[in-house]
Amino acid sequence: MNARRYGAAGTWLVAGLSGVCVGAIVLLFGFLASAGLAPFWPAPVEAVQLRDGSTVLGEIVASEATGLSGALAIRTSELERMGSAYQRVRSSDIAARSQPADAVAITLVDGRRLYGRGSDGEEALLAAAAAPVQAIEIVRPNALGVLARCSVFFHRLARFLATPPAASNLVGGVLPALLGTLTLVLLMSLIVMPFGIATAIYLHRRRGFAARCVRIAINQLAGVPSIVYGVIGLGLFVHGLGGGIDRLFYADRLPVPTFGGGGLLWAALTLALLTLPVVVVSVEEGLARIPSSLREGSLALGATHDEALWTLLLPAARPALLTGLILAVARAAGAVAPLMLVGVVKLAPALPVDGVFPYLHPSREFMHLGFTIYDAALASADAIRGVPRAYACAGLLVGVVLVLNLTAILLRNRLRDRYRALET
Amino acid sequence: MLSAVPESESLAAAPGAADVADVAVQTFALSLRYGARQALSGVDLAVPRRRITALIGPSGSGKSSLLRCLNRLNDEIADARVDGRVLVGDTDAYAKDTLLHDLRRRVGMVFQRPNPFPLSIHDNVAYGLRLLGIRRRRELDERIEAALQAAALWDEVAARLDDSAFDLSLGQQQRLVIARAIAVEPEILMLDEPASALDPAATLRFEELLHELAQRYTLLLVTHNMQQAARVSDFTAFLHQGRLVEFGDTDALFTNPRERQTEDFITGRYG
Repeated sequence: MNARRYGAAGTWLVAGLSGVCVGAIVLLFGFLASAGLAPFWPAPVEAVQLRDGSTVLGEIVASEATGLSGALAIRTSELERMGSAYQRVRSSDIAARSQPADAVAITLVDGRRLYGRGSDGEEALLAAAAAPVQAIEIVRPNALGVLARCSVFFHRLARFLATPPAASNLVGGVLPALLGTLTLVLLMSLIVMPFGIATAIYLHRRRGFAARCVRIAINQLAGVPSIVYGVIGLGLFVHGLGGGIDRLFYADRLPVPTFGGGGLLWAALTLALLTLPVVVVSVEEGLARIPSSLREGSLALGATHDEALWTLLLPAARPALLTGLILAVARAAGAVAPLMLVGVVKLAPALPVDGVFPYLHPSREFMHLGFTIYDAALASADAIRGVPRAYACAGLLVGVVLVLNLTAILLRNRLRDRYRALET
Repeated sequence: MLSAVPESESLAAAPGAADVADVAVQTFALSLRYGARQALSGVDLAVPRRRITALIGPSGSGKSSLLRCLNRLNDEIADARVDGRVLVGDTDAYAKDTLLHDLRRRVGMVFQRPNPFPLSIHDNVAYGLRLLGIRRRRELDERIEAALQAAALWDEVAARLDDSAFDLSLGQQQRLVIARAIAVEPEILMLDEPASALDPAATLRFEELLHELAQRYTLLLVTHNMQQAARVSDFTAFLHQGRLVEFGDTDALFTNPRERQTEDFITGRYG
């Protein structure tokens, strides 16, 4: 009886906790999606008539209720520079609000927004901008139907993903950051996998004192805070390795560093160090799970240890290799703190990958989604634009990790089906 | 080399063993310890060529350990210690200059549970051949077919060589690992309770296969099933607590055992 009662309680506890987990995930994604995607949706342009007779035309970016009387924050035409034309209007001063159908919202290449009215408002506004910049988007948001709004939404989303940033990374796309993140994670994977697998094989085979030391070291490595890796990367890779390369091969260019500054390669190495423990642990577990009958069967046919390893054991451990990779990618994609010391920048002058030989430029500084989040949320000059941008970048980062993980998980499940019979 | 070693008493005295001039594998005072546990002590055994020799004995008597000494698979166990000599053909298995992988190729082994590799049927049989450096497609295919024919599996799998080996039934898997073992032409094939996982019908077919294999190979068969030993083997060795108690012609050993322990065991009074 008792056991049954406890069993029911346990079931409810587990169900409740699982529900909390699922709920937290849904909440996280829902919040990121709504907060991050909101700026892409064409907001209406409002004409706010004040009691003193003047009219303010712009987008309502915030409304606040303070005490009895509230206030509206309105972004009006940014004629000079971005973030310069926010107006705060008290509710008590407002005579009337309307969304005129002829209102035009124009987005310029440098990120500024201009608002106007009338059929000929566009040219006038462009002239008013008085700068040699192009408009990248001209819409009449109040007159748009749902489909047209969707079209604007997806155009903006595409621009966000596929163009470089503008206005010191405050607006515009995040293509360099996206590419930087992907390149960094791929390079990190290429570095960490061979080292991790080799270490796991060593630990799997050896049981001696040296192996115990290595195992302890690996486990300690897992507990080191990530910022410490940044310092290690800075000292060891950037200044030590990079500086050494500069002194040896690029001495004529000093004191301008070639490899001796932060760069993609050093960041990838730092992250590889950071993720080494998870790869080692999961690969070693995978190797340990392979039944010994497989190894002995191979040895009994005249295979050497290495032949058994390469032809049978490592292939059979591929699901575990992928698990290690998944964990490593998830951990690496989220690490920002160490990167800030070894090569991530707010605005990189060039992409880490391009069409110019050798296509991958490991010594270049690069941009990263994680750092862009930090930058947009905290270091931005225009908080009203910066915070939604941070959410959008966060959503994108989570999406990137999700896609990478799903790919690896699908691949792993296909492999697992093949090796399922081994488990029995 | 051989003459320096005293002839195994049991072999010399065993009725019917006198015509065994041809010995495939021979052990001299073979002892094995796993840490503090003595698994084998002073085993002198001569396995006749192209015959089926059965190893019987109660659980823990060292039957499997003996097999694992012959192909030096015990080397893989950290605290295993082997004393004595093992001759495979003319090769001293434990000599310093013996190539381990070559020895293991010559002494094939089939394990208690079928252990097909997670590869296709074709690649399972090709595994040992590829280790030997055989890469040419035609030669591989010919030898794979021959091995599968010899293991009486060819007719069942000829049309689906690229299927996973795990798709086969347990009996087919057992024949597949036999095909895999004989593809590399071993001098002796050791089978460790190979029929323990098979149902009675498959066991019967399997025993027929053993007879066919004995035309070409030396078979050393560990079994806990005395009827099976009596049915299929030409010679039988009885092991008890790591010692070779009796070795001789199967019929003689089962009808007229010389040792009291053997008699107790085969009549079911012990073990």
